[in-house]
Amino acid sequence: MKRISFYQQIKKNKRSSVILILSTLIILFGLITIIALAVSEEYFFTVIIFGTIFSIVYILISLFESSQIILKSVNAIEATPEEYKEYHNLVEGMCLASGMPKPKLYVMKDNQINAFATGNKPEESIVCVTTGALKKLNKQELEGVIAHEMSHIANYDIRFMSLVAVIVGLISIISQIFLRSSWRSSSKNSDNGNAQIIFFLLAIVLAILSPLLVTIVQLSISRKREYMADASAVKFVRSPTGLIHALEKIKSDTSEDKISVPDAVAPLFLTKPTKTHELFQTHPPIEKRIEILKRM
Amino acid sequence: MTTLMIILITLVVLLGVTFLSYYNKFVRLKQTIENSESQINVQMKKRADLIPNLVATVKGYATHERTVFSEVTKARTAFMSAKSFESKVKANAGVQTALKGVFAVAENYPELKASANFLQLQQETSAIEDKIAYARQFYNDSIMTYNNTVKVIPGKWFASLYHFKEIKYFDIPEEEKVVPSIKF
Repeated sequence: MKRISFYQQIKKNKRSSVILILSTLIILFGLITIIALAVSEEYFFTVIIFGTIFSIVYILISLFESSQIILKSVNAIEATPEEYKEYHNLVEGMCLASGMPKPKLYVMKDNQINAFATGNKPEESIVCVTTGALKKLNKQELEGVIAHEMSHIANYDIRFMSLVAVIVGLISIISQIFLRSSWRSSSKNSDNGNAQIIFFLLAIVLAILSPLLVTIVQLSISRKREYMADASAVKFVRSPTGLIHALEKIKSDTSEDKISVPDAVAPLFLTKPTKTHELFQTHPPIEKRIEILKRM
Repeated sequence: MTTLMIILITLVVLLGVTFLSYYNKFVRLKQTIENSESQINVQMKKRADLIPNLVATVKGYATHERTVFSEVTKARTAFMSAKSFESKVKANAGVQTALKGVFAVAENYPELKASANFLQLQQETSAIEDKIAYARQFYNDSIMTYNNTVKVIPGKWFASLYHFKEIKYFDIPEEEKVVPSIKF
């Protein structure tokens, strides 16, 4: 098997994330132009104004409130340095390895091995692990998991994914408004010739397809960022062993007690075991992650 | 005429931004190196500060190991009086060797090894070792990033313009594990 360096892996993932986000933007502008061609201009501008206001509100809420919402939704409590000495020590080590400030530490009561990170800036970040992870993982494995979570913070994944979510949201809003308003406008447009009708049909098809398409792109970006966080974790620890062992433990872990993770925050978690097709998952399959880590 | 003016102004602004951003980049990279240096200092100091407590704890069980105690105290004094980063790192090597002696002695006293106080000190020492290793790694990384920027075109041109020179790697010896196998 060809060996890959973590530097190469990080570079490659960065590039594909950029390509993916560009393609969502292209879909967005394609949708807008087709709709603009299909309907009269006045509708176009109302759609844009509403979409923009909504997405600004959306981005503000998701940027400023998300951490608290997530912490509440999983019942996380703050981890004190007295009670969780090793956890604190490992995080401090990773801060030194990455040059980042120390995040706030939380734990959530759950038997499963899992963890997540949140926060828009390294200065205001939060790392949270399950009690199951603290109990079942040894020092090296826990370090790998923490390194993965801190990588999400270092790579600005949380902010990046919020941005993608806003674009996706914007696209579905535009599609919705168009599909709803097209019922009313379709009758009076009937005498505008063939081109108008073709654009109109095209716009309807696009309005239906593009939300689905960008969701797939969004999930694909999420999976890319997962690989990237794995690679950065290796960069911090200089060894993939801990994370590999941790992922293997997660794979064979049969704890029933599952945290109900809201869809919106699922990409932040270390792993999310779901049974849907790979195309519709926020995380790449554990086997694939282990395989790539083993080559580093 | 006006189009030409616009193009010229844009070019001048772009050039200015490039010059400024390169200057800021060098300053920032240099600050990262300084910061990582001070992180290593903090951890080395933390370890040296454990020594009095450690000596007091071990003395309670191993009364006859005078040479070990005096050596570790001497190493600490040497570290505390070191001023520059380089001399601190050198003195730190002495602290490491002396600490190794203390933990080796402790092996002969089962009661000491079982004491909660000693275990906690052992744990702390081990955690600091890990942290120094990571801080050292980051220190080397940040020097590498800085040097790459200084050496590669166009960074090279700006570096010579602003008098930013390549920084020599200061070789910090890798952390030796002074704490014998710990089980958490």
